Amino acid sequence: MNNKIKTLGLNLLLLAIAIVTLAPFVWMVSASFMPNGEAFVFPPKFLPDTFSLTQYEKLFTRINIGRFFLNSFILSVSVTFISLFFNSMAGFVFAKYKFAGKDKLFKLLLSSMIIPAQVTMLPLFLMLKEMGFINTYLAIIIPGMANIFGIFLIKQYAESIPDSLIEAAKIDGASDFQIYYKIFLPVIKPILVTLALFTFMGTWNDFIWPLIALSDQSMFTLPVALANLMGEHSQDPELMMAGSTLTILPIIIVFLVLQKQYIKGIMLGSVKE
Amino acid sequence: MIDASNKYGITKAVALFLSPALSAIFIFFFLPVFAALAMSFTDFGLYSLADWRYTRFVGFDNYVKLFNDPLFWQALKNTFYFVLVAGPLSVAVSLFAAISLNSKFAKFKSFFRLAFFLPVVTTLVAVAIVFRFVYHPHFGLLNYLLGFFGISPIDWLGDPDWAMPAIILMAVWKNFGYNMIIFTAGLQNIPSQLYEAAEIEGANAWRKFYQITLPLLTPTTLFIGVITLIGFFQLFAEPYIMTQGGPLNSTLSIVQYMYREGFRWWNMGYSAALAFVLFAVIFLGTLIQLKLKGKDE
Amino acid sequence: MAKVELKNVSKIYMGGHKAVDNVSFNIDDKEFVVLVGPSGCGKTTTLRMIAGLEELSDGEIFIDGKPVKNVPPKDRNIAMVFQNYALYPHMTVYENMAFGLKIRKFPKNEIKKMVEETAEILELEKLLNRKPKVLSGGQRQRVALGRAIVRKPKVFLFDEPLSNLDAKLRVQMRAEISKLHRKLGATMIYVTHDQREAMTMGDRIVVMKDGIIRQIDKPLRLYRFPKDQFVAGFIGSPAMNFIKGKMVFENGLPALRASGGFLYRFDERLKEKLSKYINENAALGIRPENIALNGSSEQSYKAEIELIEPLGAESLYYLNLFGDKLIAKAQPLNDDLKYETVGITFPKEKVHLFVNEKAVSLK
Repeated sequence: MNNKIKTLGLNLLLLAIAIVTLAPFVWMVSASFMPNGEAFVFPPKFLPDTFSLTQYEKLFTRINIGRFFLNSFILSVSVTFISLFFNSMAGFVFAKYKFAGKDKLFKLLLSSMIIPAQVTMLPLFLMLKEMGFINTYLAIIIPGMANIFGIFLIKQYAESIPDSLIEAAKIDGASDFQIYYKIFLPVIKPILVTLALFTFMGTWNDFIWPLIALSDQSMFTLPVALANLMGEHSQDPELMMAGSTLTILPIIIVFLVLQKQYIKGIMLGSVKE
Repeated sequence: MIDASNKYGITKAVALFLSPALSAIFIFFFLPVFAALAMSFTDFGLYSLADWRYTRFVGFDNYVKLFNDPLFWQALKNTFYFVLVAGPLSVAVSLFAAISLNSKFAKFKSFFRLAFFLPVVTTLVAVAIVFRFVYHPHFGLLNYLLGFFGISPIDWLGDPDWAMPAIILMAVWKNFGYNMIIFTAGLQNIPSQLYEAAEIEGANAWRKFYQITLPLLTPTTLFIGVITLIGFFQLFAEPYIMTQGGPLNSTLSIVQYMYREGFRWWNMGYSAALAFVLFAVIFLGTLIQLKLKGKDE
Repeated sequence: MAKVELKNVSKIYMGGHKAVDNVSFNIDDKEFVVLVGPSGCGKTTTLRMIAGLEELSDGEIFIDGKPVKNVPPKDRNIAMVFQNYALYPHMTVYENMAFGLKIRKFPKNEIKKMVEETAEILELEKLLNRKPKVLSGGQRQRVALGRAIVRKPKVFLFDEPLSNLDAKLRVQMRAEISKLHRKLGATMIYVTHDQREAMTMGDRIVVMKDGIIRQIDKPLRLYRFPKDQFVAGFIGSPAMNFIKGKMVFENGLPALRASGGFLYRFDERLKEKLSKYINENAALGIRPENIALNGSSEQSYKAEIELIEPLGAESLYYLNLFGDKLIAKAQPLNDDLKYETVGITFPKEKVHLFVNEKAVSLK
């Protein structure tokens, strides 16, 4: 009896939290299907009176959100692939090779993770401007080519696979590069998926750097475009909700498909030092 | 492990593997850090953008100016307000959620975990826009729901006293799921025999929480504390989207002020000094937490 | 045809730790040599240096008469079997065995022939399309062997290959590897910490401790004529008993006196030989199986039985002799013999003497 009350109470509480976390999303999707003005009434509506695609139509025809979508997609995919390649090579070396100074080098990298990215942004902007990359895809891709957290994550995972696997391949006659792509990459596939997910989502969701580096409308990513749109349409919740829905949707889909890897990655990344 | 040392230091293959990532990090991360430091001692501004020769070395002028800049103090105060309230609050909510989900009485665990986690992965800018409407004084969802409890409408984002709490609430809502996952991992590492032993000795739920769960989670809590601190000090998109730093600069954050000075007014030397103050604050915060950890061990 | 020679080989790690210290020995063609010793003795490091996985700090290794210092592992004509099998988890059994051949660009049909031949020897034919994770420990071990054999290397290196298997399977695999050795006629170097494995498998055994070779010998010679106290204690199970004391003269004869009052007198004929050791630290060694219970010869001692462990054919008697703890292994005397005092004797020809840890011949 006592346990029944506990079960009921706890689950009601969990349900209440879940409602709080999900309600904004539900309202967002719902409002995105409302015609103009319907979401700005009192009392607020939870469902559209008439299901309308007006906002999405407007986004694609008048606001050209397809272009921003494409920008976000191209950038997220290229940053993901390039950084996966660079990070996995470095992680491979840090996990499976030894040479003088390796530990010191890695410690230096790790400890610099506390430097906030904002510190680098001013000179980075000037550098990329000198190179002529501001307002191009390269302005986002170049700083994202490699990152310390990715190297750390791969190293952390790769240390759990036995060294003897690499040594066996070496005795079998494989060159360092053959070991990397015939043994190492297939074996660390789970963490590659996780890291790909992190990087894709991180790039997709990133705001401050694209805001700085991309000033030309046609180069905007979705978050930058949304923020910009908000300036003109702060009284159009329906339109903004449609834009937000479109921005969030790909992320949610990717996450729902690969949530296990994502969660595992967080746990692995949180293994201290 | 493969020995990669040779008479040149390291073998060619290893150098080839390392160089893409390391050169990217050195050129586009470390180098800018030092450049920013150098910049913070100059008056790098709009004219310097046209021709770098207009830049002058000004010593600690930027830092002195900061020290006398009321807006800087305001931004620093706001940022600390945010970090010191949202930080502990989100850690507490994370821990609470993790323990609840870890309980044997909880049902539909994977659904709840997913629901709690969803805000973490979603785009901050989009979420901030949604919340701007949720917080709307007349038509917003939140005031409507509070109305049922007899609470009269609050101008969440328009009232200088409420704007920061509104941003804090959203930050907690968005981020607690992440730390919840890390706490869950920490909780699962506590051997269940400890709880069984305590139960045999007649300890109640509170006692078990205080004397087993909390002490054994200390390393996890400190780790979470550090990453939350680092993340929260970089507050930017929320005020940028929801309040533009207002009303009356009550939500202006350090990063936002830095962005404004550096990329709106092109006072890049001054902005670099701001960035280094942010770095120093984060560094000190981390140091304090690590000291606490050292004491603990 | 492959001889392996180690000449003054040393390995010093960063920080100055000497893992292998001036080790020299030769392994003949087709010989099965076991490197044995406690963990940290340098046996695995030695093996890895032969494999080329570890650089030499000093000395030289010759395989087939050629120095291999600058020869990478793949060109040393060796194969290695690892403790954790090190099977490539993303490849099938077939692909695991074929990997080295593919890398070496063997033609496809030849690879197929070689893998199938090897699979037949090891009875792996039915498993060729499986991934390692669905195999049992014993099967994985056989695949690891197969991957080593398939290339027909001249030298096989084994790094504790059986230590992850359960006791029963270990005995079985021991026999299988020995059989394989006879069949392939290849040189094999085998590392283990298990002296029993060393004794049963090796043509010769190299006993190492702290990076130094303590003794190289055939198994039974190692058992009978250990060169020092460490080897004596390491080989044989249960381990040899040692009674520590000092060499003294007792009634004009050399003797060993332990602090607890135990005294062992040596023969008159050893007087001259042992007199130079008087006042040195010494230990009397006697194997458990050599202690005679209820004996009544010239030198018999009263010992207290503290515990009896019946093993079936034999029993282990835990004895207290003037405060020294000894273990005796003997036929069960009778069921009545409980915790009481017995007379024990040490047969003269079975006693070992170690002065300052070094064996002294009592012949």
